[in-house]
Amino acid sequence: MKEIRFEHVYKSYGKTEVVTDLNLTIQKGERLILLGPSGCGKSTTLRMIAGLEDVSSGAIYMDQQKVNHLPSGKRNVAMVFQNYALYPHMNVIDNITYGLRVQKVPADEIKRRTEAALDMLQLKEYKDRLPKDLSGGQRQRVALARAVVKQGDYFLLDEPLSNLDAQLRVSARKELVKIHEMYKQTLVYVTHDQVEAMTVADRIALMYKGKLQMVDTPDNVYHRPANIFTATFIGSPPMNVFNVDVQPDSIRFTSQTLKLSPEWSQHIQQTGEKDLAFGIRPEHIDLSKIPTPNSLKGHIKFVENHGNHYGVYMDIEGNEWIAMSESKRWLPHETVYIKPRADKIHMFNQQTTDSIGYPKSLNNGE
Amino acid sequence: MKTNRSVSIPWHMIFIGIIIILTFPIIFAVGISFKPLEDAYNNALNFIPTQPTLENYETFFNSLNVVKIVSNTFIIATTVTLFKVFTSFLAAYAFVFFDFKGKNMLYFLLISTIFIPFSVTMIPNYLMISDLGLADSVWGVILPQLADAVGILLLRQSMKTIPISLIEVARLDNLGHPRIMKNIVLPLVKPAVTSTGIWFFILSWNEYVWPVLILKTVDHYTLPLALQMYISSEGGTNFTVAMAVAVITMIIPLTLYLLFQKYIIGTFASSGIK
Repeated sequence: MKEIRFEHVYKSYGKTEVVTDLNLTIQKGERLILLGPSGCGKSTTLRMIAGLEDVSSGAIYMDQQKVNHLPSGKRNVAMVFQNYALYPHMNVIDNITYGLRVQKVPADEIKRRTEAALDMLQLKEYKDRLPKDLSGGQRQRVALARAVVKQGDYFLLDEPLSNLDAQLRVSARKELVKIHEMYKQTLVYVTHDQVEAMTVADRIALMYKGKLQMVDTPDNVYHRPANIFTATFIGSPPMNVFNVDVQPDSIRFTSQTLKLSPEWSQHIQQTGEKDLAFGIRPEHIDLSKIPTPNSLKGHIKFVENHGNHYGVYMDIEGNEWIAMSESKRWLPHETVYIKPRADKIHMFNQQTTDSIGYPKSLNNGE
Repeated sequence: MKTNRSVSIPWHMIFIGIIIILTFPIIFAVGISFKPLEDAYNNALNFIPTQPTLENYETFFNSLNVVKIVSNTFIIATTVTLFKVFTSFLAAYAFVFFDFKGKNMLYFLLISTIFIPFSVTMIPNYLMISDLGLADSVWGVILPQLADAVGILLLRQSMKTIPISLIEVARLDNLGHPRIMKNIVLPLVKPAVTSTGIWFFILSWNEYVWPVLILKTVDHYTLPLALQMYISSEGGTNFTVAMAVAVITMIIPLTLYLLFQKYIIGTFASSGIK
């Protein structure tokens, strides 16, 4: 239950920089999710915490101690690998207890921790099996049990659920949160799956191309994205983002304009920003077959069935917009009028791609 | 291993043919070793001796200190094998799991020594051994053979199948390299270690040129050298005795092979993954 702090951490392999100027504090006992597309540096970041990768420059502190050169074994870190990394020649119980035995934990203590873990993860009946005789889900639980019994201060997980099927993933996710609530280690969890991130995280750290994009609660990452990458990476289908011309109380797309709420026009004027990108999530767009005030006109290209709702893809002045609708009455080639909800819009600077913030009068958008 | 019953009869015929060709010399040698010399000449193709005799074995045992010769051979083959496997294991481990500058270059250099013919190193090695005062001693035979690039190559290939995350988990548990080697890597590459070991043992057991250079005293001889004594020596070839020596030479490696063959079959190094 200790804090982890990155200070100006860089990591490069030869000339390729995989982590760039990372500054991040992971609070003790929290569940921090490192989220990002593949190759964004999230796994490298996790492995630097574990001491499995060197730091090229900068410093990592764990519990206020600089650990750049501290060997992995001295960091009191438990880690779950994506491929589970179970020892193939040891049965379940040996896999779980081997590390403890090496570290000379007293036998009765090993027994106590192991039984608790076996119980919690429902592995009791499999304890004499070899990994090859277990299913994927069982192996994943053994890997989890092995990390749990270590009772380290830090709990690191590298895409622990990515090899499980969708249903198993949901139950394993819940299990993981339950375990963490019990032990409260500082947990760092790497995933590329935003649903996993939203459901598990206390905070999400979003990375892209080696750079940290945003660190905040799942709610804020979703409702108050710090930049265009965050806005479009989180949420499925992704947010609609288009460049617009700013006019005193409205924004102009190619030829159609949309009137802004007084709060937003005031906010934009205050920030003094000119070249803006407008963003709206698909679920915050109202559709209509007849013209409504302050709407944009376009036509429907195609409709995707998502089961509980429909993804409506539209062409509006050559731009592809996506909206979500619960109604199935939207048909391709029909004319459609769309109306973004005034209090749900986002504005970004075109050059920096950073958010220009939100009018104060809007609470955090929920 | 599952038996594939669908392997067709023609294939079986081919396999049986190969087995006959491979076992023929062995049966032939065993048969002759129990025949008197005239019988061996007159009924060469009759594998089963009509008047079985142990006289060839007696001749061998009476003319030479067989126990000494077998133990010489055994000491050389065992020591050479153990050292070669041990050094190959350490080197392979370093080549697979360590990162250091010039790793690939060094590996390439080591592997290229495989292609240096023995006749090139033979004389320098001989001079060195005799300077060390080890000529005519089993240790002189052993000393230049304590490491082998082929072993490094074979064990490295096998260790490369071990997922790196297994080693990383062990490192996170504060295991040192000796422990990782012994408790994680060795059990996973056991089939490769065993087959490499058997291979080294048989090569060393049958080795002729190098021991014949070093060993002069008959009491220091190894079995292949003793075998040579009955072939084309001045009195003509006494090949029934030579066959008896050959049979004795065969027995020990064959027994070892039968004992260890279960380790050669199959490897399960990657089955703990996913």
